[in-house]
Amino acid sequence: MTPIWSGLAIGAVYALVAIGYNIVYVAYTTFNFAHAQLMMFGVFVTYWATVVADLPIWLTFLACGAAVGLIALIEEFIAIRPVKGAHAHLVTTLGAATLLDGITRLIWGDQVLKVPPVIGSSSTITLLGGRISIVELVLIIAIIVITGLITLYSRRSLTGLALLAMAEDRDAALLRGINVKRLALGAFVFAGVLAGITGPLVGPKTFAVATLGSALALKGFVAVAIGGFGSMPGALIGGFVVGLVESLSGRWLGSDFPTIMVFVVLLLILLLKPTGLFGSTRERVV
Amino acid sequence: MSTAEVLLQVRNLATGYGDIRAVWDVSLTVRAGEMTVLLGRNGAGKTTTLRAISGLNKADSGSIEFAGEDVTGMPPHRRVTAGMALVQEGKRIFRRRTIEENLLLGGYTRGLGKRALEREVSDVYQLFPALADRKHVTSGQLSGGQQQMLAIGQALMSKPKLLMLDEPSGGLAPAIVAEVMATVAGLKETGIGILLVEQAVAASLAVADRVTVLDVGRVLLDKPAAEITDTEVLTEAYLGRGSTS
Amino acid sequence: MTTIVQGLRRIPSWVLPLALGILLIAAPWLGISADTRRLLVLSCILALVTSGLSLSFGYAGELALGQTAMYATGAYLTGYLAMHWVNDLLLLVVVSAVAALVVGMISGIPGLRLGGWSLAMTSFFLVLLVPQIIDLLEKYTGGAVGLVGIPQPKLFGQPLSTVTFYVVVAVITVVWFTVMRNLVTSRHGIAFQVLRQSPVLASSLGISVFRLKLTAYALGAIPAGIAGALFAYVDKYLSPSTFGFTMAVTVLAAAILGGAKSVYGALIGALIMQYGPLRSTDFAQYAQVIYGVFLIVAGTLVANGLAGLANRAIKLLKARWDPQQPASAGGDPDQSAGESSGLTKRPVLPQLPGDRLQIEGLAKRFGGLQALGGVSLTAEPGQITALIGPNGSGKTTLLNMVCGYYRTDDGTIHIGDTDITGAKTHQVARAGVARTFQTPLFPEDISVHEAVAAGMYTPRYVGMLSSILRLPRYWRTVRADRAETTAVLRLVGVDHLADAEAASLPLGTRRLLEVARALVCRPKVLLLDEVASGLDEDEIERLAELIRAIRAAGTTVVLVEHNFKLVLELADTIRVLAQGELIASGTPAEIENHPRVLSDYLGVRQEGMQ
Repeated sequence: MTPIWSGLAIGAVYALVAIGYNIVYVAYTTFNFAHAQLMMFGVFVTYWATVVADLPIWLTFLACGAAVGLIALIEEFIAIRPVKGAHAHLVTTLGAATLLDGITRLIWGDQVLKVPPVIGSSSTITLLGGRISIVELVLIIAIIVITGLITLYSRRSLTGLALLAMAEDRDAALLRGINVKRLALGAFVFAGVLAGITGPLVGPKTFAVATLGSALALKGFVAVAIGGFGSMPGALIGGFVVGLVESLSGRWLGSDFPTIMVFVVLLLILLLKPTGLFGSTRERVV
Repeated sequence: MSTAEVLLQVRNLATGYGDIRAVWDVSLTVRAGEMTVLLGRNGAGKTTTLRAISGLNKADSGSIEFAGEDVTGMPPHRRVTAGMALVQEGKRIFRRRTIEENLLLGGYTRGLGKRALEREVSDVYQLFPALADRKHVTSGQLSGGQQQMLAIGQALMSKPKLLMLDEPSGGLAPAIVAEVMATVAGLKETGIGILLVEQAVAASLAVADRVTVLDVGRVLLDKPAAEITDTEVLTEAYLGRGSTS
Repeated sequence: MTTIVQGLRRIPSWVLPLALGILLIAAPWLGISADTRRLLVLSCILALVTSGLSLSFGYAGELALGQTAMYATGAYLTGYLAMHWVNDLLLLVVVSAVAALVVGMISGIPGLRLGGWSLAMTSFFLVLLVPQIIDLLEKYTGGAVGLVGIPQPKLFGQPLSTVTFYVVVAVITVVWFTVMRNLVTSRHGIAFQVLRQSPVLASSLGISVFRLKLTAYALGAIPAGIAGALFAYVDKYLSPSTFGFTMAVTVLAAAILGGAKSVYGALIGALIMQYGPLRSTDFAQYAQVIYGVFLIVAGTLVANGLAGLANRAIKLLKARWDPQQPASAGGDPDQSAGESSGLTKRPVLPQLPGDRLQIEGLAKRFGGLQALGGVSLTAEPGQITALIGPNGSGKTTLLNMVCGYYRTDDGTIHIGDTDITGAKTHQVARAGVARTFQTPLFPEDISVHEAVAAGMYTPRYVGMLSSILRLPRYWRTVRADRAETTAVLRLVGVDHLADAEAASLPLGTRRLLEVARALVCRPKVLLLDEVASGLDEDEIERLAELIRAIRAAGTTVVLVEHNFKLVLELADTIRVLAQGELIASGTPAEIENHPRVLSDYLGVRQEGMQ
């Protein structure tokens, strides 16, 4: 049971990345390669706020959300807005990701920094016959709650509905008076703020390290591929699946295998169910 | 001649898609509380004209004036706020959303809270009782006629001064066409100006105040509906066998 | 100045690169320092890796960043084999290329099916796996410590000095870029560009999109493997840290810097990278920041890179100084080849026998919507069959089903005796169906002649090997292509524009070119989709003449058209669709007065007619 708990905990992190991808995908039908880097930045800001500045909990969350939200805003203006089409965004957001990696390295260097728990503690408890630390448990619960809230908000609030409407038919949304550009920007910044405020939850599990972004980016993508593009519950399940594959293959096959096995899962899902578990097929129109 | 206030004035509009020009020179007028019907064969440029009026296509030249204001360069969502609503052809509702959600989205631009909008939705249900029974049904599952009603209701939720409809009768059974047309004609009494694009000549002529006929992106004929007595003239225009008076 | 430019223009385009190539090989005898020699070796290696990316990204339009993994495969394989099996540079280069190809295929196929992000991510993932796999195979790779003790390279048993090694690297690089150049300037290069611009167009020309993409991707793996083999010998030491994320980004930066869509761009980009940033030790610290900014700026502003800019500058210069360069802006289409004006002279086509298109009970549903409800119709050879109907009547759906874009729910489609029901788009094209598009599709930077010749890619296929080696077969086809396109272009009256850029021509001309491209496929059935929309009266008249000529040649012509007047003028039979059903069928005279057509399609009240 212990490997399952730890798989779910790291899976929660992947699910967060996947949710970030999905929010941007819904708003722009494109991918923000740099989303995992935004999360990494949130973790580093958490490190700074807790270890260096020793801020109170609420200020830690505020600092993380504000800092990463601001970076997301800048990213939208320099890497998303000026170019059109998923293919061009592939290059520009990859650039943004590389830039964020570089800045992180310049500020905090290459070493692995331990992030202390902000909510909960590192002490472990036994649950359903497996051991799990309190921070990990908080992380798993938080991601489930966040997914639930986002799903609920998108269905129940007018803004959420507008976002879904925009994703379904951009022209029709414009014709209902929805300012699609501003709404999309709002969604992008929200994804950034989310990446920021989850930093204090993620940090204790992943530690702050400058290679975190690229590792999370790919696992997060696998989670999206499994769950289906644009599906929030899909992202949650996809993230957990990736985490479990990683954790269990590490347990049974050895420490060199987790990433390889996740890659195998990605290849399999692309071959067998390219739309993901919750994605829908669309016929091509000329 | 009508004396009602001019709501929409399009002058010498030219527009298209990239370098494929679909509308070369179109002028038309819609007055408050009246209906202008835009007729023309397939490919005559009717839909493109509506897209340009609502801002989806950029006007290459010409001007669009709405309620005394030049809206030629205004972004589409602001035109909706200003009171222009377009019901696109093909019942373009948000198919993955429910009837209620679609209607709420129709009022998005009004800046009211969700609660206030929920109250107004009931007005639409009064207009189209068939929708009221199926509030929470995903709208992609509705019949064609219900989808069309929903599309119109959604546009009405923005409280428009000008309602533009692109072939609302397309793909509907004759009985439903009559119902939709009657409802649309009834809207005139609320003071809304209506610009209707139709291929169903007979049905639309019966309720129109003014008729504009397009052919290959140009105005072929533009006169009050009352002055059109001879359908034959229109037929000729349609078939392109000769020029009209 | 004008004469100089004209003089320069007469020099074949391959002379300058060849001269530079010889210079590169001969560099050691021109007194370069050991440092420069090393830099040039590293530049060549980076250029090889980059050219692989250029093939898939620049030409086939898919961003695949896995070259680094294939590079690592080549390097480690060569290192290990040279230490433990046989140390022969040439043999190991071949082995590495093959191994890289295998890795590329296995990792590429799943991602390529979806393309776009899936491919980019799987290929990036592959790069992430490199250190893990090196670690996993520690016994062979030395793991994190690195592979130490790679011997001095040997060629046919002779040890190579650093100078001879340099020459071998330079020669291999020159050979590879010659291969690239020959491939890219052949019809395969045009096919890649068609694919990049529009997979829909590519498949309608009979090109299997998946296979061509896979080919570009797999070909891109080869130089990466070769580069890896060469790299193993440079320092005789391999460290896993060389093959990481940064390497992948460096390659992408070099490709974009040099212009992904140019043959020698990879070389330019690699040279700039090696001589500039990569030489500086300070760079490592700021590398990611600089790459990041560069990718954002370059991705936004100069998507086509330096070579792209240079191309544009040359074009501008040519236009400025060389009045004989064909003007890209239309021109008078009637001045063709000294013959009398194209309008009065009716085009005559050689025989182009068609085959009957037979559709039976064709049905299609989209969700709950019945788009087509069991339509049966035929189109006969040597006749123009028009398909008309209001919006949403199912014409486009019908066309898309014939072309294989949609699966059929029910019913059959035959071309002559061939059943094409359920066939893929490129298979339909190969069965003899050619089409034009509502919006003419032409790749950028392609001449009219090349654009039209793209229609012959499948019907008269020339293998890649023949193209790369420029075998007699290749030259024969080039001549035949030229003759055929010239003939067809003359027929449609635009032969004087053969060297102009197709995509920049006016709409009317591009419509004619689409018909020309369809004609060189020698179709049995020609589908014209809204071919007259957006054209003025003169242009429509020219088009009508052309369509009549095609009918006279015996082809089956299907005309989907809004312009009712044109339909009445041209068609032999008209089929009218409404709400997914065939409501009328007959001669223009019959259709014109058909009561249901008047009421359903034209919406005219019947009693109004009396």
